[in-house]
Amino acid sequence: MLGFLLVVLLIPYLIAAYALLFVKLRWGLRLFGAFIVATIGLLTAMFFVEAYPIIARDGVAVFLQTGWDPVRESYGVLQALTGTVLTSAVAMALAMPMALGVAVTINEILPTRWRGVFGSLVDLTATMPTVIYGLWGLFVLGPTLQSLVNTLARDTMTSPYTLFTAGVLLAIMITPYAAAVIREGYALVPKPVEEAIYAVGATRFEAALIKLRYVKNYILGGFFLALGRAMGETVAVAMVVGGNFVRFTTNIFESGITISSLIALQFPNAASYQYMVPALFAGALLLTLFGLAINAVAIYIIQRGQI
Amino acid sequence: MAKVEFKDLRVSFGASPVITGVNLSIPDRSITALMGPSGSGKSTILRVLNRLIELYPEARVSGEVYLDGQNIFDMNVMELRRKVQMIFQIPNPIPNLSIFENVALGLKLNRLVRGRGELFERVKSALEKAQLWDEVKDRLRAPAGKLSGGQQQRLCVARALAFEPEVLLADEPTANLDPENTAKVEALFLELKKEMTIVLVTHYPPQAARISDYAAFLYKGQIVEWGPTRDVFTKPRHELTEKYVTGRLY
Amino acid sequence: MTAERKAGDITAVRRVINWLGLGLFALLGVAAVVPLFLIIGDVYIKGIDAINRLGGLWHFLTGLPPTPYEESGGIGPMLVGTLYMTVLGALLGIAVGFPLGVYIGEMRREKFSNVARAGVNVLVEFPTIVIGLFVYAVMSLAKEDLNLYLLDPLSRTISPVGGWITQFIGPLDGFNAYAGAAALSIIMIPYVALITASAYSSIEQPLREAAYATGGREFNALFVVLRKAVSRAVITAALLGTAKIAGETAPLLFTAFGNFYYGPFTGPTAAVPLWVWYAAQTPYEVQIASAYGAAAVLLTIILTIFIIARIRG
Repeated sequence: MLGFLLVVLLIPYLIAAYALLFVKLRWGLRLFGAFIVATIGLLTAMFFVEAYPIIARDGVAVFLQTGWDPVRESYGVLQALTGTVLTSAVAMALAMPMALGVAVTINEILPTRWRGVFGSLVDLTATMPTVIYGLWGLFVLGPTLQSLVNTLARDTMTSPYTLFTAGVLLAIMITPYAAAVIREGYALVPKPVEEAIYAVGATRFEAALIKLRYVKNYILGGFFLALGRAMGETVAVAMVVGGNFVRFTTNIFESGITISSLIALQFPNAASYQYMVPALFAGALLLTLFGLAINAVAIYIIQRGQI
Repeated sequence: MAKVEFKDLRVSFGASPVITGVNLSIPDRSITALMGPSGSGKSTILRVLNRLIELYPEARVSGEVYLDGQNIFDMNVMELRRKVQMIFQIPNPIPNLSIFENVALGLKLNRLVRGRGELFERVKSALEKAQLWDEVKDRLRAPAGKLSGGQQQRLCVARALAFEPEVLLADEPTANLDPENTAKVEALFLELKKEMTIVLVTHYPPQAARISDYAAFLYKGQIVEWGPTRDVFTKPRHELTEKYVTGRLY
Repeated sequence: MTAERKAGDITAVRRVINWLGLGLFALLGVAAVVPLFLIIGDVYIKGIDAINRLGGLWHFLTGLPPTPYEESGGIGPMLVGTLYMTVLGALLGIAVGFPLGVYIGEMRREKFSNVARAGVNVLVEFPTIVIGLFVYAVMSLAKEDLNLYLLDPLSRTISPVGGWITQFIGPLDGFNAYAGAAALSIIMIPYVALITASAYSSIEQPLREAAYATGGREFNALFVVLRKAVSRAVITAALLGTAKIAGETAPLLFTAFGNFYYGPFTGPTAAVPLWVWYAAQTPYEVQIASAYGAAAVLLTIILTIFIIARIRG
């Protein structure tokens, strides 16, 4: 009944909000604000509810144990959690330097005419469908990385599809997010400050470093934004991470799994088991809480820098 | 030979000409004032002299500028900026760096000092010369953005003096200061001119009359008149000059 | 060594470091963009080849997907599904996102407005699979009652209109196009809202004051007078948001679920990204080829929207 009411009342709510815009504008606008806040609240609440069965049965252990055994109805998200952490770490380590590179290249190195084009290319990288990244990762990046890594250190990657592959693919995907934030900050360095930097005789490289220091709030903000994105990315990661649900590993050159790809790959069979759906929702809950926390930190940092 | 010579300097921003043929000699160890109404190109001339004009991609510069007989465009720009320092109209310390770091920045970048001890001494003496040392000596690590306007401007003066430059460019440095701070800065310039050449852009003829040795009157990108200050003010040769120095031309 | 000579050496060293440092930054910047070309090249080369092998463009755009044993096929149902859900999702996304953006952009002095803004910032790059799961959860909860009390009676009432209406309106399965569209709209709303908010924020104070003075009611000021000032940014946001949701896969996994056939929108619905996701992971060559073909089509749609948005903006 509750669900029914939710859905059914949605349409009148929106119509009322719209109508109010014409009559009492401000209240109409507030209703739209309320809508978004309610959505987030509802989302978090629903996940608690759906995950409840397995949290009631296993407690916090569900987040701490490894091993995904549907037959024995024993679920542990720990290796997915580890996979998320490892792939995100690899992704951030590669993405942040590239994002800084993009910001400096656009603002200091490229002639004015090329800046728009280059910026659009970076933005396009962000707009590309993630499933196409996954496709490319599956058939091009994975095998290429495997050859590359194995030439440097024999037999390190036994499969093209590992946590490392996912990390590299993620790095390519999240760089534009960090880059967008850093670019915005970098362009806001006031002209008088720029003149001061050059008046004391800095080279362009030295000036870039000083400016980056000036916008470090934006760099941190971009960092957390990209991190949130990396932890939540599902489809591309699922296609190249190797789908290792069984063996716990911390070796990035082995196949693994992340929370989001776990949900994507296991959900189709989840209905057949009693506790799998709640377990997956528990994973979703974890992702939600992480996402909330990281985004909150990112917003806080960017806003604090703006004051 | 004059310290600085401008020969047929022309500057335009895109299609708009700003400086249309300036010939000027700046004598050593003196204060030369550049006066003129807004938009006459005074700040632009300053920015040519330390090649800060190169930060403006739309700017086109032609003509020759000599520092001690050397063409500044043939020089390495970092060398030039070691010798020619600038103070701006609106104080521009780098706000997130500390007071100490602001003054030290140029010294460190250009490797002008060896070791922490020498660095500290240079920074201290620059701050003392700028008459800021006493006010900040207990909080050298505080961010520069927290200082008052007058203090920030003196910090910028210290930053410039740390180089022990040969030429000091001042772009309306007291325009945003109260009379007390203005007086301090003017007194400082009178002291400094014994060691260096000062080129002072000012919007306010009485200031030029007060402290400069030579004055140049700039109007619409051209030098209308130039000479020892006393002559320019008491016996101007051009009508425009006379109008300007008596305050009838803006 | 004289002081001049030493100064010259330091300068030389700094110049070398300058070149190396800037070069490094440039390398990193280019590295961020190179994969884009590699991917577009790979998708188009293999995709166009696949489309040709699988029966040519028209057949590919309208036909049914290939089974593992066929030699030709298409993504007809997928295109229809993507079109339907993207349009619905985008309409809802703009309809809610725009006023929301006005709220958080213009009424910033209110505390609740800042709360809403925080909410929007949190939601804007939220893991899309979580959003799909949310809609799935709501759907599962609501489905039975919804069908019982609303949709069954409704569909019986309108059935005289014709059989075709049941393709669109009727009792919903667990997986359906409307759940998919809902998930997509939840993704688009914050995106449109943020861009609308920043468009309104960047209106200069004099213009805003003039609008309020001449506009009479606040409604007129905001939506009529200032319309010109913000419409460019909002339309760009709408276009780019649409491109974004057209390419999304994860939110559709548990809402639309996917389909091999043309079916009613009240049941499991196909989508182009879903097909790429599914077909690329099969071991069958013909299906992998169709995945590349589908990717090429998807990429073309998105690139077109992107270029239109960039040219206008």
